[in-house]
Amino acid sequence: MRAIIIDDERLARAELRKLLQEFPEIEIVDEAANAEEGLTKIEQHHPELIFLDIQMPGKTGFEMLSELDRAPHVVFTTAYDEYALKAFEVNALDYLLKPIEPRRLADAIQKLHNMEPVPTGHNGSAGAENKSLLTEDHQVFVKDGERCWFVKLSEIRLFESVGNYAKVFFSTHKPLILKSLNALEERLDEKVFFRANRKHIVNLRMIDKIEPYFNGGLLLELKGGEKIEVSRRQTVKFKEMMSL
Amino acid sequence: MNRFKLSRYWAFQLAGWGTFALINSFFAYSFDKLRDPQDVQLFLGRLGIFVALGLLATHLMRYAIIKLNILQKAFERQILEFILVTFCISFLASFFNMELLSNFGWLNKGEKEVLNKNLFLLILSGVFNFFVYFFIWNLIYFTYHYVSKSRKQQMDTLQLEKLVKELELKTIKAHINPHFIFNSLNSIRALIDENPSRARNAITELSNILRSSMRAEKGETVSFDQELKIVKDYLALENMRFEDRLQVEYDIEETTLGQQVPPMMLQTLVENAIKHGISKQINGGLVKVISEIHDNYHTLAVQNTGYINGSINKKGFGIPSTEDRLLLLYGPKARFEIKQINDALVEAKVVIPVSQNQN
Repeated sequence: MRAIIIDDERLARAELRKLLQEFPEIEIVDEAANAEEGLTKIEQHHPELIFLDIQMPGKTGFEMLSELDRAPHVVFTTAYDEYALKAFEVNALDYLLKPIEPRRLADAIQKLHNMEPVPTGHNGSAGAENKSLLTEDHQVFVKDGERCWFVKLSEIRLFESVGNYAKVFFSTHKPLILKSLNALEERLDEKVFFRANRKHIVNLRMIDKIEPYFNGGLLLELKGGEKIEVSRRQTVKFKEMMSL
Repeated sequence: MNRFKLSRYWAFQLAGWGTFALINSFFAYSFDKLRDPQDVQLFLGRLGIFVALGLLATHLMRYAIIKLNILQKAFERQILEFILVTFCISFLASFFNMELLSNFGWLNKGEKEVLNKNLFLLILSGVFNFFVYFFIWNLIYFTYHYVSKSRKQQMDTLQLEKLVKELELKTIKAHINPHFIFNSLNSIRALIDENPSRARNAITELSNILRSSMRAEKGETVSFDQELKIVKDYLALENMRFEDRLQVEYDIEETTLGQQVPPMMLQTLVENAIKHGISKQINGGLVKVISEIHDNYHTLAVQNTGYINGSINKKGFGIPSTEDRLLLLYGPKARFEIKQINDALVEAKVVIPVSQNQN
């Protein structure tokens, strides 16, 4: 598993590298000393795993993650205590407290083995044709104020355009991300994510009911109860796709 | 609150004067003074005027008490002014009482006799009558306020004690950031292989800081010499973590070393300089510690590379706890400020009076 260590303290990176020598399956391909450098190195290497410090100069680890189109597996390394970390309300957060206990590190790595791999777009030929296309299995990191989530694309029902932002609907949450709907549409797999109208992209697997609507359009009801109108132009495309 | 008090005042007023009227009527009735309708009219007229004047006069008296701020004055003065005000108001009430009674022709026999001789004497006899009731009224008013004031004082004292306790706790907690301790321990672990002697020093530095922070809970002040040692240990540890991202400079006047300073205060300023200044800059920066004496005031300042962005997040800078500690120790003679001194440097400064017991 290819990994990058992102931490602003050289000694902290050195210490983690040393601890990871026990785990030959983890290959450290690079290090970064701050969030900006981290972003570049992630683009460059497409690692499956990153070890990420939360408090760094410039941007925090959370802010860095929310700028990624897709999040690899993340293990946070921090000197905060558990109590302080709860304030961030990150779901499914895997974290190691500094100084890192070797047994906890082993547990975290074991947990990674048990998880299904996150596609990174690096290995395999599928990624080569359009390496920036996101599939259902990709996860994104969403940050809304103090709250953060790792969300699999397959769990997202709907993207709604709100100015320059997009509102992401999943589970009971609908945080905003700083991405335009057009930019998202380019990156999303069109077999799963369908542009229903100017303002909405829906997950086709999350459709509960389909009803005819005015002017030959359609009204989709999603599993979360959201009702989305399909414009007349898109209805033709929608019917084509569904008849396949 | 205000409305509630007002209505309570009027409840007391009406209940008091109401009771007065009832008791008077009861006695008049039981002493068989209300036999023919003329007597009844006379009695009720006189009583009505008395009660109405009583209400008006006491209300005026209350206004005077509030305006003169009598309740806030020293006890002896309060008594004196109470009696004076009561007398003046009684005089006024008595004057109007006689005026009204003679207008309506409700004066009794004795009063008519006195009136023939001297108006002033008549009024004076009325003054005594009113004075007794107004004195009782004042007694109740005074007692009520005395009790509620002392209860409020008790509450205030309790609240103050609570605040002091909280402050003590906060300052103790604020002394060392656990985040710093664990980060240092993590760095030390990495140094054990890389640079064993530096690692050993670091352990000593860390234990010095831990020990002095425990000591800081007890003493009110420590010598600046001692405080500076802690700060140097602290900055040495931060240097180990930040490496070339942190430069440290000292500008310490020899004479300030013997000064007494609040424990861990300079340390808190330095810690803030690192936390809000250096650790936020990708390329790090400079921390400069300054100690000097000017005109009998000891200045402790910490400058760091960085910017105060917009409004200072007061909580984050530990400003309230530093300000509160200074206020508790030195009163208004000490001050604390934090400001941008040029486009790249932020300065946090504590100014305290030079300690007395210096040789």
